[in-house]
Amino acid sequence: MEHIDPEHHDGTSDATPGGEVDKRRPGELFFSAFLLIASLFLLSSAFGIENPFGPNGFSSPRSIPLATTAVMVFSSALVLFKTARLPLDRAETIAKDILPPVVLVFAMFLVLYGVVLRPLGFLPTSALFLIAAIKILAKRNWVWTLTVSLGSLIAIWLIFRIVFSVLMPAGIVPEAEFIQFFRDLSNGGAEQ
Amino acid sequence: MKRMIVGALSAFALTATAAIAEYPEKEIQGIIQWGAGGSTDTVMRSVTPHAEEALGGTVVMQNMTGAVGAIALNHVAGSEADGYTILMGAENPMLYKIMGLGDKDYGEFTPISILARGTPVLVAHPDAPFNDYAGMIAYVKENPGEVRFGSTGPGGLPSVITAMINAVEGELDVTAVPYDGDGPALTGLQGGAIDVMPAVLGASIEGIRAGNMKVLAIMDTAANDKLPDAPFVTQFNEGYNTYLPWGPFFGVFTPKGTPDDVVAKLVDAYSTAAQNPDFVQLMDDRGFTLMGIGGDEADAFLTKWQQGTAWLLQDAGLTKASPEEFGIARP
Amino acid sequence: MIALMDFLTVFTQPELLLLVGLGTFAGIYVGAIPGLSVTMAVSILISFTFSWDVYPAISLMIGIYMGGVYGGSRTAILLNIPGAPSAIATALDGYPMAKRGEAGTAIGVTTVMSFIGGFVGIGVLALAAPLVSEFALKFQPRDYMLLAILGILLVGSLSQGSLVKGIFAGALGIAIGAVGRDPLTFAERFTFDFQLLEGGISFIAVMIGMFGVSEALLQLHHVDKDAVRQKITRIVPSLATVKKHLPLSLQTSTIGVTIGALPGTGGDIAALMAYDHAKRVTKNPERPFGDGAMEGLVAPETANNSAVGGAFIPMMTLGIPGDAVTAIMIGALFIHGLNPGPMLMIDQPDMFWFIVGCLVMANIFMLIFGLTGIKLFTRIVEMPRSVLIPLIMLLSIVGAYAVNNSVTDVYWMLGFGVFGYFMRHYGYPLGPVILGVILSRLLDDNWRRAIISEREDLGRFFEGIVTSPLSLVLFVSVILIFVSQTPLWSKAKARIFKDGKAKS
Repeated sequence: MEHIDPEHHDGTSDATPGGEVDKRRPGELFFSAFLLIASLFLLSSAFGIENPFGPNGFSSPRSIPLATTAVMVFSSALVLFKTARLPLDRAETIAKDILPPVVLVFAMFLVLYGVVLRPLGFLPTSALFLIAAIKILAKRNWVWTLTVSLGSLIAIWLIFRIVFSVLMPAGIVPEAEFIQFFRDLSNGGAEQ
Repeated sequence: MKRMIVGALSAFALTATAAIAEYPEKEIQGIIQWGAGGSTDTVMRSVTPHAEEALGGTVVMQNMTGAVGAIALNHVAGSEADGYTILMGAENPMLYKIMGLGDKDYGEFTPISILARGTPVLVAHPDAPFNDYAGMIAYVKENPGEVRFGSTGPGGLPSVITAMINAVEGELDVTAVPYDGDGPALTGLQGGAIDVMPAVLGASIEGIRAGNMKVLAIMDTAANDKLPDAPFVTQFNEGYNTYLPWGPFFGVFTPKGTPDDVVAKLVDAYSTAAQNPDFVQLMDDRGFTLMGIGGDEADAFLTKWQQGTAWLLQDAGLTKASPEEFGIARP
Repeated sequence: MIALMDFLTVFTQPELLLLVGLGTFAGIYVGAIPGLSVTMAVSILISFTFSWDVYPAISLMIGIYMGGVYGGSRTAILLNIPGAPSAIATALDGYPMAKRGEAGTAIGVTTVMSFIGGFVGIGVLALAAPLVSEFALKFQPRDYMLLAILGILLVGSLSQGSLVKGIFAGALGIAIGAVGRDPLTFAERFTFDFQLLEGGISFIAVMIGMFGVSEALLQLHHVDKDAVRQKITRIVPSLATVKKHLPLSLQTSTIGVTIGALPGTGGDIAALMAYDHAKRVTKNPERPFGDGAMEGLVAPETANNSAVGGAFIPMMTLGIPGDAVTAIMIGALFIHGLNPGPMLMIDQPDMFWFIVGCLVMANIFMLIFGLTGIKLFTRIVEMPRSVLIPLIMLLSIVGAYAVNNSVTDVYWMLGFGVFGYFMRHYGYPLGPVILGVILSRLLDDNWRRAIISEREDLGRFFEGIVTSPLSLVLFVSVILIFVSQTPLWSKAKARIFKDGKAKS
């Protein structure tokens, strides 16, 4: 398979993963080592699974986890071994090709989103996220940014909250009262 | 248009600050403990629209599955006791404590309505080499380990019925094959993967009517209207009178501490809904016994149910912790 | 004759026709948005259609079901984010086509093939439902287990590049599927005493994270590049194209109906198995698989739509759901005063023929809406990335939450999003992870059921496999496919062919 450089093609589909066949990408060795350690940890955890209502024979809840984590350990060890023998790709750097600043910023945004979602509520959190994200990426004026981000947020909210009644955490926004008000309004209108 | 928006916003501000208005002033979240399409889901989705009518509000139902319903139970128990989050569940949380599945059960809740109760029935594959309960017991004793019973995990209806059989008949050597619900287990029964399944009547009645499975005994003290010709188990062994009638149930609950007037309104709404002819018909078709009880009556029912079942399982050695530890008295 | 009348009910009543159309249209969008699932839509419709008659309610649900299964392919092709698990395989070859500006062609082929697959499924339902359901009931726990192993062997065809990395990804998926309280014994597995892990990890959350968020993060690398202009002049595939793929589509439709009819397996597994089948039987694709092979679209899309008809087979003949959506429909029939079960076909055959009629109609609507609304959809990919990427992320979050109304799923989704981003960078395929999660329960539960049934005796277990024709066929297929993936086989094959040539 030819080398696919993320700088020079647009997006990698799953079928053609972004790895390189004959070179080691920056950070790859660390990632493979991480996977091996994680697999070993899961394997030891699988050993700890007990059948609470019977013996730990073939039918124990531990049998499949044990088998699958063992496969994980073997395959990740093999990958680590193979990776370690490949020459490092000197043309790439972590900061440029694996984790450029914009990805780091967005990963941080997502983490922040997860943290504030519950206390602040879905609508404010998402509004902040969309405005910040679109402003940073598109670098357009504020009117455009606000229109696009709030417009699409309202569309998403209408679909999920009103049509599919998915109750995202309301946080500081009294959504339910708000909706009830409109419901009463429309009911009242119908009755008159 | 502008005036309407201003009006809307000020009214909105009003409702937000003046919280003590008429309940329900916003939609109520109904958390269903089990997945879409299951019996609990069907019962709740068919009773709640009637309750909404009586309540004059909206109940938004959501399925929250996982850890045999414990996720949903903990979620509702942890939410505010204001009547805007209610739990729609089945009987099994009463066994969470002794099964080591969690430290909460319906004791943390005020029952709004115990809607209906199911009748357990022993069904078998049509080709099974026995035709009734007595035949099955004799066959199991002659062929230890050969008969495969369906099960739905510890604490599920089949495990309780099997414990009951062991308590009455002495230890039987059967192989319990676990399934993740009575639907899949009954499918397995029809395909011959298991021989006998203790199931709730509602889930098996259509299969029985079609001859895809046969009734060994109804686990009750009297014949059932739905299957008047089928034998009931006390006909074979009087010993069951100690434990029966017993059955799974469906109920609606709100966290303890919910204001009394709110509870009263909910109880009222759901007991009205349970009397709705459509719902009565549906319960009857599915072979459920309508209950529709709330308040102290429901509390008493729950206590009795928990005592009986917990100690039965304890005596059968199926529990992880003794009911005594949780102050569940021996009946 | 009466059957024909019942079958035609939906065609003669404009109101029902409208509802089926509306449902199909809505379904395409429900299916296309990752996180909005048909299961969800149909269970909401139960409350919504509560006071309606049963016919209109069922019409709307069937429309949504048919449209939704098809709709998942849209975002898979356009954004590389499958809208539903059954469209995972579609992304493998659909997205490379969109990258070339051939999204129109891809969607056209997908639509026509879904239509063909849908009809095969409906045909089998109408003509052979009792036979198929009898066959489906024959599957014992050990057969389901063998089926799951067969599925896991697909890892080979889903992972281009390093097979070892693919195996790792598949095993990881199975482990993810095991997290939480084991449904059979309630033992805690990989929960590390965290209460929020007890419910397990929703596989939809894993899917949305790995495909949605990680794709969005990856797209950040070239946010300033212009989107690919899509050619949408030629959407309807030529007759020659359809004809060329007809044999394959019939084979994969058969896979779809069968897997769909088995209780406990559905369109997602069917689509992946069909993709694998296509890869096996297609000798010379115009483009290699994974690079935009037409066959890679044909197979999964015919299979997942024919699985719809398949799922109705056990539902209509036995009252046993073929998948999650039919499970909810059974509930809906109950609520509307019917008694779905083996007697339904005898007591109320009109319902059966009415449902078949609705399915036919929904399939036709799917073709119409599928071929007309493409321009609007392709606009999505042509949107500036600076807007598209944040929107994908937000939709992924809402979608993950919607699955089980749980914030925990959102955290998992984000976690797997970041993890998937690294996996993509270092050449680990993501398809096998999802495959593993989908098959985890099927494998685990049925292995244990099977071995418990034999009282933990491996000898009896293998005896059972050898003496049952069905198990034996599955077992032999497992062995054959396994051997064909090992290097030993390629060597042996090379030698045999060489010998053959030398002799002739």
